Amino acid sequence: MFEEYDDYRKQIREFGLKEFTDEVAAKYDRGEEYPDYLRKKSLSVGIIDMHNPAKILISIEELCRVDAGLGISVTTPYFGAEVLMLFGNDKQKEFLNDVYSGKYVLGLGVTEASGGSDVAHIKTTATKKGDKYILNGSKMFITNGAIADYLVVLARTSDEDKPHHGLSTFLLSTKLNGFKANKLTGKLGVRATNTAELTFNNIELNSEDLIGEEGKGFYYIMAFFNISRIYVAAQALGIAEGAFDKIQDYIKANEIKDENTMFEIADVATRIEAAKELTYNAASYLFKFEPRPQLTSMAKAYAGETAVYASEKAMEILGTNSLEENVERIFRNAKIMEIWEGTSEVEKLVISRFILKGE
Amino acid sequence: MSNLNEENNILRDTVREFCEKNLDEKKIEEEKIDNNINSLLASQGFLGAKISSKYGGSELDDISYHIILEEFSKYLPSIAMKIFMINSLYLPSVINTEYESYLPDVSSGKMNVSVDFMNNKYKLEYSNNVNGTVENILNTDAENIVLFDGKTTIVEGPFKTREKDFMGFKGLKFGSIELNNKYNVIDKNSRKEKIMENSYNDLSAIALGIISGAIDKAMNYSRVRTVFGAYLKNYEPLVFKLSEMYSKENILRSILYSNLDKYYTFNFAMNSIVEIARFSVNTHGGYGYFKDFGVEKFYRDAIILKSVFYGNNELKQLSNHIYSEKLTFI
Repeated sequence: MFEEYDDYRKQIREFGLKEFTDEVAAKYDRGEEYPDYLRKKSLSVGIIDMHNPAKILISIEELCRVDAGLGISVTTPYFGAEVLMLFGNDKQKEFLNDVYSGKYVLGLGVTEASGGSDVAHIKTTATKKGDKYILNGSKMFITNGAIADYLVVLARTSDEDKPHHGLSTFLLSTKLNGFKANKLTGKLGVRATNTAELTFNNIELNSEDLIGEEGKGFYYIMAFFNISRIYVAAQALGIAEGAFDKIQDYIKANEIKDENTMFEIADVATRIEAAKELTYNAASYLFKFEPRPQLTSMAKAYAGETAVYASEKAMEILGTNSLEENVERIFRNAKIMEIWEGTSEVEKLVISRFILKGE
Repeated sequence: MSNLNEENNILRDTVREFCEKNLDEKKIEEEKIDNNINSLLASQGFLGAKISSKYGGSELDDISYHIILEEFSKYLPSIAMKIFMINSLYLPSVINTEYESYLPDVSSGKMNVSVDFMNNKYKLEYSNNVNGTVENILNTDAENIVLFDGKTTIVEGPFKTREKDFMGFKGLKFGSIELNNKYNVIDKNSRKEKIMENSYNDLSAIALGIISGAIDKAMNYSRVRTVFGAYLKNYEPLVFKLSEMYSKENILRSILYSNLDKYYTFNFAMNSIVEIARFSVNTHGGYGYFKDFGVEKFYRDAIILKSVFYGNNELKQLSNHIYSEKLTFI
């Protein structure tokens, strides 16, 4: 699948191998610093093409295969763009050109401290006052939170009987008064990515900052997750492949031939192949504008678990040789794949609900 | 535990109180175990837990020693690893040699020592001094280090070290040492294999502490965290899994302290530790990924413990033990 992009894939891998050296990856991982120069460089050589989702998927997979901290850093400055692309007004869609060109960094503010995957129960409010909305509340674990110029934010605009009703999405400039970002440090992995806690204190938003229709925010975010979870599956797939690269290099270099290890690499390879098939299959439906949420969740959950499995196997098979930073970093990076963009447990709920609905 | 007596329970409580009163786990992971902590550990007899009383050690029995390893590991595995290195690795390396004379300073915390248990091959040159580089040394700020280069050698410091960022047992300094140092062969044979095999129960005690610490964090979090309008403890899949893990923790504790069979115990511990630590991180959602919640350290140390101490060699030993013969494999 996606064989027509083989040359593009090769180009991306070459970029990753050239730019994401062990030294660079270790530096930004240790320092928990966002590699802005790599974001700009990736744009200058055209490795991100936001107009072609298959290319986005391939670039995420191949860059995360080399290093997930850096790979995710250069492929998430556009995070949340799909909400604007699908539901935004003409001005907001036009604004996306400045995001794609690298002028602005975008982020998505949905998660709150009180409930990670529980989107419907968010507490941030956007209260209508004349032709303005007054934004109050806080967000947690927001990727790009402290470096973003703009954020797509989900907030409650009215109280309804059903909690997922009454939510709306807004495009928020982080330059506005009342916005505060607190960079979070001490992550286990993907430490080059920027993560922040945000607070909104009486931020005045204009009515044209509303994305789409008032009260439809929950549905917009769920539609976005159907897309973004495919990309997280691609991140996880890349991490698993990167771990497997290390395993193969080690086995070949040390001429390891014992049967137990052979069985272990067969298991890792099989799981990666299955994760790839699931991810690409789910992506193919999405790219035809026929998303299958249960397939997307299967891909995200399975690829995430495969990333963790492959990285743990890399540590175990390499033994004391796994203590090199470029191997243990893969292990640390992998774990987030089972957590963000919906934990594996939430994905399993989505899968079972859709199956029982007969969709 | 039925096989633990009142004295054992008092010791367990003592270690817990010591940890809560004296140790700041996050600070130690950032700033490493310092002389002050060494002295504190020594003053309570933890540092020289197995060392003979004639050398100022506590000369504890195995059960008491395992309680100490388990409880420190539950709080901060780095401390347990430090105690393990001294009592399970260094002590049997120097026992019945003239270097027993170092033991009083080791048990009192005045002498910081290390044992290289990670390397199997060395490229060292021996003349009056030993020359070369040894990678992956834990506790690089030691004053002398035992190496197993086909023999058992003690190398005297100070060492030229290059510290590396290391995700496991972060309370200990880790890195490479560049040797141009005096050395003495203390045994013409390598004591490593026997020492490692004899330490299975000790490593299982450290694993038990990691498992117990991780499950405690996860269960406590499940009691206070609400998601989708209900406590985590009210969600079947999560609680079933945590309960299953808690059962494993107690089975491990039971077989360890009843001294069932060190091979079975070690195998069970190593096959449980990573899965349990990983799921405990999962239970915390996004918070589990941050060091502030104190659970991700168990996942880091779990994979290092398993990767370094458990592999094909240990599986072969288990199989030989079960088949009662030295098996050969295709």
